[in-house]
Amino acid sequence: MLGLKKFLFRGGAPSGLSEDVKASLDAWRSSHAPALEELHFHTRYLVVDIVSSGLDPEKDQLLAIAASSVWQGAIQPDDTFYVDFSTLDGEGAAVDRQLMAFLLFAAKAPMVTYHVPYVGGFLQRAYKERLGLDFQPQWVDMAWLMPSMFEDKGHTVMPLDQWLEIFGMGGGEGRRDAMANTLLLGRLFQMLLVRAVGKQIDTAARLVDESRASSFLRRTH
Amino acid sequence: MNTQQQTGQEMVVGQVEMTLREKGRSRMAGNTIAFLRNHAPFNKMQPDALQRFAEKAQIAFYPAGSEIIGPDAGNVRYFYLIESGKVQARQAGEVTVTEYSILSLGAGEGFPIGAVTAGRPSTNVYLAVEDSFCYQLPAEDFLALVASSPEFNLFCTQYIASLLDQSRRQLQLQFAQRASEQQTLNSPLAGIGSRSPITVAPDTPLRAALETMSEAGVGSLVVAGEDRKAVGVFTRTDLLDRVVLAELPLSTPVGEAMTPSPFMLEEHATAYDAMFAMATHGIRHVLVTDAEGRLTGVVSERDLFSLQRVGLRQIRQAIDGAHNVEALQQAAADVRQLAFNMLAQGVGSEQLTQFISALNDALTRRVIQLNLEKHAFDGIDWAWLAFGSEGRDEQTFSTDQDNGIVFQPPEGASVDALKQRFLAYALDVNKDLDRCGFPLCKGNIMASNPQWCLTLDEWKEQFGSWIRQPHPDALLNATIFFDFRPLFGKAELAEAMRRHLLALTASNPMFLRAMAKNALDVEPPLGKIRDFLTDLEPDHPGKIDLKKYGSRIFVDVARIYAMASGVHNTNSIQRLRLAAQRLNIRADEINAVLEGLNFIQLLRLQHQYLEGEPGKQGDNLIDPETLNELDRRILKESFRQARKIQTRLKLDYQVN
Repeated sequence: MLGLKKFLFRGGAPSGLSEDVKASLDAWRSSHAPALEELHFHTRYLVVDIVSSGLDPEKDQLLAIAASSVWQGAIQPDDTFYVDFSTLDGEGAAVDRQLMAFLLFAAKAPMVTYHVPYVGGFLQRAYKERLGLDFQPQWVDMAWLMPSMFEDKGHTVMPLDQWLEIFGMGGGEGRRDAMANTLLLGRLFQMLLVRAVGKQIDTAARLVDESRASSFLRRTH
Repeated sequence: MNTQQQTGQEMVVGQVEMTLREKGRSRMAGNTIAFLRNHAPFNKMQPDALQRFAEKAQIAFYPAGSEIIGPDAGNVRYFYLIESGKVQARQAGEVTVTEYSILSLGAGEGFPIGAVTAGRPSTNVYLAVEDSFCYQLPAEDFLALVASSPEFNLFCTQYIASLLDQSRRQLQLQFAQRASEQQTLNSPLAGIGSRSPITVAPDTPLRAALETMSEAGVGSLVVAGEDRKAVGVFTRTDLLDRVVLAELPLSTPVGEAMTPSPFMLEEHATAYDAMFAMATHGIRHVLVTDAEGRLTGVVSERDLFSLQRVGLRQIRQAIDGAHNVEALQQAAADVRQLAFNMLAQGVGSEQLTQFISALNDALTRRVIQLNLEKHAFDGIDWAWLAFGSEGRDEQTFSTDQDNGIVFQPPEGASVDALKQRFLAYALDVNKDLDRCGFPLCKGNIMASNPQWCLTLDEWKEQFGSWIRQPHPDALLNATIFFDFRPLFGKAELAEAMRRHLLALTASNPMFLRAMAKNALDVEPPLGKIRDFLTDLEPDHPGKIDLKKYGSRIFVDVARIYAMASGVHNTNSIQRLRLAAQRLNIRADEINAVLEGLNFIQLLRLQHQYLEGEPGKQGDNLIDPETLNELDRRILKESFRQARKIQTRLKLDYQVN
C-alpha cells in the first residue's frame, strides 16, 4: 500500500510520517483549491514571510513561518499563523506536524510574499524533504508587482525596506521579526490591490497572472 | 491514547494548527500593542484590556479620497482607530449640528464613538484625505472593552459628554438669536408698539377728533385717508399750540391743525431706527407702514423703553417691595422674561431651574407674607411646605401649585379650630398664587385642602401609613409628598418630618422595593428598530412626553436612592450625587446620568419657552423629528442613561 502511494505521488511521503500527518496530507491533497475568479475583497490571500539561517534555499535552514490573511478588506487577526522551528532541534515528527498544520491553515489560498524564489524556495525544499510534497501554491510576488503597480514611485525591483521607506512605513530601528514583516507586507499588499483594481486586475486569477507576467518580463527584458 | 495526547508530545495536526494560529494571533497582537502604547487612552489601559483590543483589531487600508463610513452605510460595525494617514469627519446634510463642520483626525484618533456605542449609522461622513491605515475593532468587541476597561469607558463617556456640551452650546446659540430678535433694538418694528392705532380722516372736525382721543384714552391720533395712508399726526402738543393758543374753532377739520408729513418707517425697519429717528427729529411717535405706505402701527418712545432688559436685582426688589398681588403679577411676568434671557445667555438647566425656583420661592413667600396681614398666627409654630417639582427645586414654567401646611398646636389648644384658621388663610394664599401664574392644583394638593393642612403628628402618621401599606395610591402620594421642602415658617418642623420619614423607610425595606417596582413601570421610549417610540401617548401621536418618559424616570430613581441612603436633599441632581457617593456608584457613571437628566430638562425648558405661546402653559410633548441630528443623538443617549439607571435599580431591588 505504502509502495503504491510512493509510486503515485512522485517520490511520495517519506515512510516515517506518522498516521495523523499522513491522513491530513491525504485530505489536503484531495481538497479543492478556492476559486480564483472572485474579486479581491472576497478572496482570502495569505501573506507569508519566513526566517532562515541564510539566503540559499538549497543549503540554509528554514527557521520560522509567519503568515496572515488579507480578506474582506483587512488583515484579520483571527486568521494568522506563526511557527518557530528553531526550538525543536529538528525533532522530526513535530516538524512534520507543524508543516502540515501550515498547509491546513493555508487551505490552498493564493500566497503573497516578497521574492518568491527565496520564500518559495525554502518552503518547497522543506515540504519536499519532510512531507514528500511538491509545494506549488499560486504565488503573488510583491517584489515584481510593486514596480509595475507603482511606476510613479519606483520602476525597478528593489529591497522591501526601500518600498517601506517610500510609503513612510519604515523607520523601525533594528531587525523586525517575521510577523512584523508579514504585517507590513500585508499593508503594502492592500495598497497594491487598490492600484491593481485601477488597472482592471480585479480578481485573484488576474493578479496571479500579472505577477507571473511582470516577473517574466522584467527578468527577461 | 488520551494520556499521550495530554502530554502534548502526540498532538494531532489539527491541534497543532490551532496552537500555531494562537501564536500568530499573539504575535500580531504584540505588534498592535506596540502602536497602542503610544496613544491615549490606550497608554493608560491595563495590559489585559490592551491585549483584548489588539487580538481583535483588523488592519484596513483606505486610499486617499475614499469614504470609510457614512450615514448611508447602515449601523456602524467597527470602531476605527487611525494608525497612519489623515481622516476628515464631515457633517452629513445641510444643517451643522456640532461646532465643527469639518474635523481632521490623525494617527491615534478614533471614531465614530457615539455611533458605535449606540449601534446606529454614523451621522458624519468619514473620508480618508490621505492614504490611511486604520485598526478596526468590531462593534461587539468595542462594547465589551467599554464594559471591562474603566479607562476606556471613561474616555468614551467623556467623549459623549463633550457632545452633550456641544449640543448645549448650540442650543444657547438658538436662544441668543431668539432673544436678540425679541429683546434688542435689532427687532423689526412690525412686532413693537400698537398694532391698531386710532385713525381719523383729515376732514373730521376737531371736536369729534378730540372726543375720539378722550374715549380711547390716548394722547395722539393718526390722520389718514381712506387708503390708510397717513397724512399727519395730531397730538396734545398740537392741541395746545395750534388749537387752544391759536383759538381755532372746534369745527375746523383736524387736517388743518395736525402736524403734516409725519415720520414714517417701514415695518422691517428696526427699533434702533425708530429710536434714532426720535432722537434726531425730536419726536415721540413713529408711524409704521407696510411696503405700500399703508399704516400698520405706531411705535412710541415708551414702547422702546420697555424693550430694555429686566434684571435679577430689579425683580428681587420688586418682589420684596410688592404690597399687593398686582405688583407681584408684574414681577412673575418679569421672572419668565429673565429666565428666558438667562437661557439665552447659556445658563445650564440645573442652574436655571434652581434660579426659577429661587425667584418663585421669593414670590411665593411674599404672597404668604402679604396674606399674614389678614391672618395672624402669633405664638404658633407652623411652616408652609412645597411639594413635587417645587419641593425639588426643579420647576419649569408649566408647574402648578403643590403645597401644604404643617403646624404644631400649642398645649391645650383646639387642633380643629386652629386648622380652620390655617385653611382659611391657605385658601387666600392659593388664590393669590393662582393670580400670579401658579395655577391651582388639579389634584387639589394644596394647603387649603384639609387633607394637606396637618399637624406634625398627623403628617408623621400619614407618612407612616403610606409606608406600611404601599398600595398604589400611597406610592403615588409618596412621589409627590416625600419631596417636601419648607418655604416659609419654622423649618425645624419640616426637618422633623424628614427624620421621621428616613427612619421609617430604613426600617421598611419592602416599601422601597414597592417604590422601585412602581418607578420601573414606565420605560424610556427607546425603540428596537426606530430611535424613539412616539406612539406611547394615544392623544399625541408622533410625540414624546419628556416629563413622563424622561425626567420623571430620573426623579423617581433619585428619590428611592436618596431615601435608601438617608440623603436629606430633595433636588434630584443633588440626591443622585450624594446617594452615588454613599452607595459607591462611580463618579463618571453618575455624571453621565446627570448629563442625561440635564439634557432632557434643557429640552423641556427650550420647548416651553420657544414653542409655548406667550402667557400659555407649555407642555412637555416634543416631536423628535423636529430636533436636529445631534440633539436626537443626545436625547437617545440620555434615554439610554435613564434605562441604565433603571437597570441598576432593578438589580438593586430585585424587581423583575
